[in-house]
Amino acid sequence: MKVSKKWLNDYVSINDISSVDLADRLTTAGLEVEGIEPLACKADLVIGEVLTCERHPDSDHLSVATVNCGDKVEQIVCGAPNVAKGQKVIVARLGAVLPQLTIKKAVVRGVESCGMICSLNELGVDEKFLRPDSAAGIEVLGVDAIVGENPLVYLGIDDEILDVKQTPNRADFNALWNVAKEVGAIFNRDVMWPDCECAASIGKPTNLYVGSTTVGCSLFLGKVINKLVVKESPRWLMERLMAGGVKPINNVVDISNFVMMETGQPLHFYDLSKMNVQEITVMNQRAGKLVALDENEYELLDSDLVITSDGKVIGIAGVMGGDDSKIDVTTSGIIIEVASFSPVSIRNTSRRLDLITEAASRFTKGIEPLAPYKALDRAVQLLVELADADDIEETVQFGEVNHVDKEVKVTLSHVNALLGTSLAMDEVVDALARLHLRPIVEGDQITTTIPSFRTDLVIAQDLIEEVIRMVGYEKIVATLPLMPQTIGLLNDQQIKRRSIQKILTSLGLQEVVSYTLVKESFLDGVLPMADPIALASPLSEDRKYVRNNLSQSVLEVVAYNQAHKNENFNMFELSQVYGKAGSQWRLSIALQGELLGNAWSKQGVNGDFYAIKGLLESVFTQLGFEGSRLRLTRNELDHHNFHPYRSAVIQLGKEVLAIFGDVHPNLAKVKGIKNVVMAEVLLDVLLAQSPAKIKFNAINKYPKVVRDVAMVADAKLEVETLITAINKAGKPLVQSVEVFDIFTSPELGADKKSVALTITYQAKDHTLMEEEVSMIHGKILDNLAKAGAVLR
Amino acid sequence: MKDITDVKEAGLAAIEKSTDLSQLTQVRNEYLSKKGLVASLMSGMKDLDASLRPAFGALINNCKEELESALKLKQDALAMIALQAKMANDWIDITLPATEFPVGNLHPLTLVQQEIEDIFRSMGYKVVEGPEVDLDLYNFERANIPADHPARDMQDTFYVDSQWLLRTHTTAIQTRTLEESANNLPIKVVCPGKVYRRDDDDATHSHQFTQIEGLVVGENITLADLKGTLQLLAKSMFGEARVIRFRPSYFQFTEPSVEVDVSCHICNGKGCNVCKGSGWIEILGAGMVHPHVLDMAGIDGKKYTGFAFGLGVERVAMLKYGIDDIRHCYINDARFLSLFKRFE
Repeated sequence: MKVSKKWLNDYVSINDISSVDLADRLTTAGLEVEGIEPLACKADLVIGEVLTCERHPDSDHLSVATVNCGDKVEQIVCGAPNVAKGQKVIVARLGAVLPQLTIKKAVVRGVESCGMICSLNELGVDEKFLRPDSAAGIEVLGVDAIVGENPLVYLGIDDEILDVKQTPNRADFNALWNVAKEVGAIFNRDVMWPDCECAASIGKPTNLYVGSTTVGCSLFLGKVINKLVVKESPRWLMERLMAGGVKPINNVVDISNFVMMETGQPLHFYDLSKMNVQEITVMNQRAGKLVALDENEYELLDSDLVITSDGKVIGIAGVMGGDDSKIDVTTSGIIIEVASFSPVSIRNTSRRLDLITEAASRFTKGIEPLAPYKALDRAVQLLVELADADDIEETVQFGEVNHVDKEVKVTLSHVNALLGTSLAMDEVVDALARLHLRPIVEGDQITTTIPSFRTDLVIAQDLIEEVIRMVGYEKIVATLPLMPQTIGLLNDQQIKRRSIQKILTSLGLQEVVSYTLVKESFLDGVLPMADPIALASPLSEDRKYVRNNLSQSVLEVVAYNQAHKNENFNMFELSQVYGKAGSQWRLSIALQGELLGNAWSKQGVNGDFYAIKGLLESVFTQLGFEGSRLRLTRNELDHHNFHPYRSAVIQLGKEVLAIFGDVHPNLAKVKGIKNVVMAEVLLDVLLAQSPAKIKFNAINKYPKVVRDVAMVADAKLEVETLITAINKAGKPLVQSVEVFDIFTSPELGADKKSVALTITYQAKDHTLMEEEVSMIHGKILDNLAKAGAVLR
Repeated sequence: MKDITDVKEAGLAAIEKSTDLSQLTQVRNEYLSKKGLVASLMSGMKDLDASLRPAFGALINNCKEELESALKLKQDALAMIALQAKMANDWIDITLPATEFPVGNLHPLTLVQQEIEDIFRSMGYKVVEGPEVDLDLYNFERANIPADHPARDMQDTFYVDSQWLLRTHTTAIQTRTLEESANNLPIKVVCPGKVYRRDDDDATHSHQFTQIEGLVVGENITLADLKGTLQLLAKSMFGEARVIRFRPSYFQFTEPSVEVDVSCHICNGKGCNVCKGSGWIEILGAGMVHPHVLDMAGIDGKKYTGFAFGLGVERVAMLKYGIDDIRHCYINDARFLSLFKRFE
C-alpha cells in the first residue's frame, strides 16, 4: 500500500515528523514500512527564468540560454526543442545529483554550460504521470512560479511515499482516511475529515432503478447527475492521485479514484448518455464476453457477478467497468454506482481473469460496512465542487446495511494475565481511546464500542493486542513459562533416524535433501508405494506428483554431480514417501566412486556392491539387527531399476527391508549416470521390530586354533554355501569363517574359481587338542566336497 | 696371572675393533666359547695350588664378565647402527597425498533443524512431526483459516483434491497436537517439517521449504513467556549479545500476533547489508494461540492459554551461513554440501 506523506498530512498534522521517524513508529505499531521513496528526486533544484535564448553557434539542435536563478545568472546549453526566452524553468544546479546523472560544469561544443534545464522525467517522475506537453521536452512552469524557489514545492511533487505492508486483518487501511486515524492514534494527534456528511442527501425525484438478482450484491446505491463538466483536475487532485500511483485522467474519473483511495470504497461512474435506460441490475448466470475499460476482451462465466443494464452486460462487478459506458471528454451526465459485492466472488473472478484492479483488491480484502455512504457523500461533494455537478437526482438504494457498532469487553486482569504485564487501568483506557474504541470502565471491566471501520476487533484478545500495540511491546519483561517440568524427548523413530544420519556421515556419506514433488517417470522407482498422489494444479509437469519412492530423486542428485565432475560423492537421503494409502519413511543410498583411500596407493575402497552391502550391514547392526534376523537373497523383485545379477534383497523376518545393488544399465543411461550402486531401505519395517539389546557374555579365555583351506569350486557357486557347510560340520567348535582370497585362472579351468577360507576353532570350556581339531577339520572337508568344493 | 690380563686386554681390543655383528661373533667364539681363550685359561686352574685357586678364579671370572659386558655393549651399539641403516632405507615421501577418510556431514537444513530441536529439547520440549499430505481441516480450518478467507491468498496451496493438500505450514502439526493432547495438558512441543507453497522457485522463493514451529499450552502462559523463550532461542542461535523485539502482526492462528526481530548478528544492530540498514532481522512469527483455535481442539480457552511461534529453517540457514540463493539447499552440489563439515 502506497501512502503519500503529503496526502496523509491533509488529515493529520505530521509535517513536523521526519519520514524516517514516521516509518519507525508505524513499523513498531504494526504498519510495517518497507520503503520510503521521494516522488521526484530531491536534488539541488531551483526555479529559473530564461533571460536570453540563442542558437548554439556550432549546432543545429542545441540552444544557449542565460537563466536567472535568483542568486546568480547562469549560462546553460540546452538540447530541448521547446526552450524559449521568458520561460520559467526547472534548473538543476552544479553538483545536483539526478537519477541519471550528476550536473557538472561542462563545455559543450565550445560553449560553457553551468547547470541543466530539466524535464520532469529527468527528475525521476514516472513517465505515466507526464502530460503530453511535459513529455515532449523541458517542464515549463506557470508565470506565477517564483525565481529562486524550489520547483518541486511549486509543482506539488515534493512528496514522499511510504510503502506500507498491510496485514490481512487490517482491510480498513485500504482507506487512507483510516490510515490517518491510525497515525493519529500512534502519535496521539487529532484527525480531521472533510465536512461532506449528507452531501448525497440532496436530489430531485428520480426514475433510476437499481437492483440485484443475486446474493452476491448486498447493497447498491445509485444516483443520477444530469449535468457536469469534464475537464482537467485541479493540481492538488492530480498530485494526490500521482502520489497514490494512479494516472490522472479527468476530473470526473479522478474523483472516483480519489474517493476510492480515501474511503476504501470503489465507485463506478457510467456515462448517462450511453445508457439506453436508467436501470442497473447486478446478476450472475451471464456467461459471455465483455470488452472492459482497458479495451481487452474478457470471457465471463456464469459464476461471475456482472452489471447489466437493459438486459446487456455493461461491467464486471467490482473488477472493471465496460468500455461502452465509460466516461470521456463528451460526458455531460453520469450515473454513480456505489455497491457492496461478495469478496469471495470478486476474488474468484479477478484472480481467474488475472485482473487484480484497485477496486477488486479492495472488495477482496473487505470493506467497512458504512463506507458506501461515506464514499457517495464525498463523491457528490467533490463533483459539485470540481465538476460543476448540477441537476442531481435523489439516491436510489437496493438492499441495506444493518450495521450496529458492536460492544467488546475485556478486563484489566485479563489484559495483564495474557500479556504478562502489570499495566494500570489508565494506560489501557488511554490506548483504547486513542484508537476511537470509546472505552467505558466499570470496576475491572472495560467495555468498548467498535466503530464500523474496525470490524477486525471481535474478541477480548483483539483488544489486548490493540493495547500492547499502543503501549509498546518493549514494556513486556521477558519471563519463562512456569509449568510442571517436562523432559525434552525424541521418539524412537526420531532417535533411529538421527542414528542412521550419524552412522552414514561417519562412514563418509553426505546427506542430501531433494524435492518431494517429481515427474511421472520417477513413479516407476524402487519399491514404489501404490496409488501415487497427483496434484490437482501442479506448477509444472516436472513437479506434478508426490514421490512414492526415494532412489529416483537421489539418482537425480548423482546425475547433477556427475555432470559437474564432483567425483567420489557418496550420499544418502532420509525422507517420507507417499501413496494414497499413507506414507513410509525411506532411506536411499547412492555410491559413485571411492569411499576412502587414495589413488596412488591403489588401496582405495571402491563404492561398489560390497561397499553398499557393508554400509547397510553397518546400519542394521548398529540399530540392533544382525545375524540370522536378516536374510539376504538374490534380487527377484526389481529387475527394472537394478542389475538383475548384481543386486540383492535383505529381509527382516518375512518383510522386505531393502533392495540394493548396481543400477540397471538402462536406467543409468536414462539418468545419464555411470558406475552407481544404490539402495532403498524401508525404515518402517526396521522400526516395527524390536532390536537386540546389549547383553554381557563372559569372554572366552581358551586359545583359538586357526586353519586355512583353499578349494576349487564352480565359478557361480555362492561362497555362503561353503560357509554354511563348514558351520554345519564344525559345530560347536567353529567360531568364525573368513574369506581371504578369491581368484580365477586358466589353470583352474573355465567356470572354476579358487576360494580360500580361514576357519577359527575355539572351545568354550577347554583348550583344544590337535587331534580334536584335525577330526573336525576332516569332517568339514568332507562336507565341503559334498557342497562342490575340492581341496586344491 | 699376567696371561689373564693379557687375554682380557686383547679381547677388549678385538671387541672394540669389530665393525659388524659377524666380527663380533668371531671374537665371542675366540674368547668365550667352550674352547676359547678364557676357557683354556680356566683349564690351567687345576694345576694351581689350592690356596691360589680362589684368587685365580676371581680374576678369570672378572675377565669373562668384562669381556661379556663389553660384547653386550658393542653388540647393542652395532645393532643400533644396523637398525639406523635399515630405517634410513625405509624412507618415505611424507608429502604424498594422505589416505583420505572422507567426512560426510548432515545437510545444512538438517544441521539447523536439529540445532533448534536440541535447544528446545534442553528446555523440555518434545519433537513432534506430522504428515506432509494433510487434510484441509488441520492445515486451514483448525488453524482458524476458514474457506474463502483472504489469508489463504497469502499461501497458495498445492491441493490434491477438495480435502487433501500438501501442508502449507507446520501449523498443521500444531492443530493435530492440540487435538491429540486436549485431555493431556500441558503441551510443550516443537514441530519441524517440510512444507509446500505454490511459488515459482527463485533466489528467495522455493515451492518446498522447512519450518519449525513451537507450541506451549498450559495455565497462565503469557506473551512475556513467549518473549523470554524466543530471547533464549536468539541467544543460543546467534550469540549471547542478541536481543529481540516484538512488532505487531497478524496470523489467524494467534491473537495477539507478533513479528519477532533479532538484533543483527553481523553488524550488532548498527545497520548493514544483511539487515538492510535497520539493525534488525525478521526471523520469527509468533503470538498467543487464538482462543478459537483452542476451542476447536476441545481445550478450554478460559482456563488455558498458550503461545506459538514459527520460523523458516532455510531463512535461518541462509542468514547463519550467508547463503545467497535458497535453491542451493535443494540442488545438492557436492561443493556446496561439503562446506558444512566443520563443527561450529
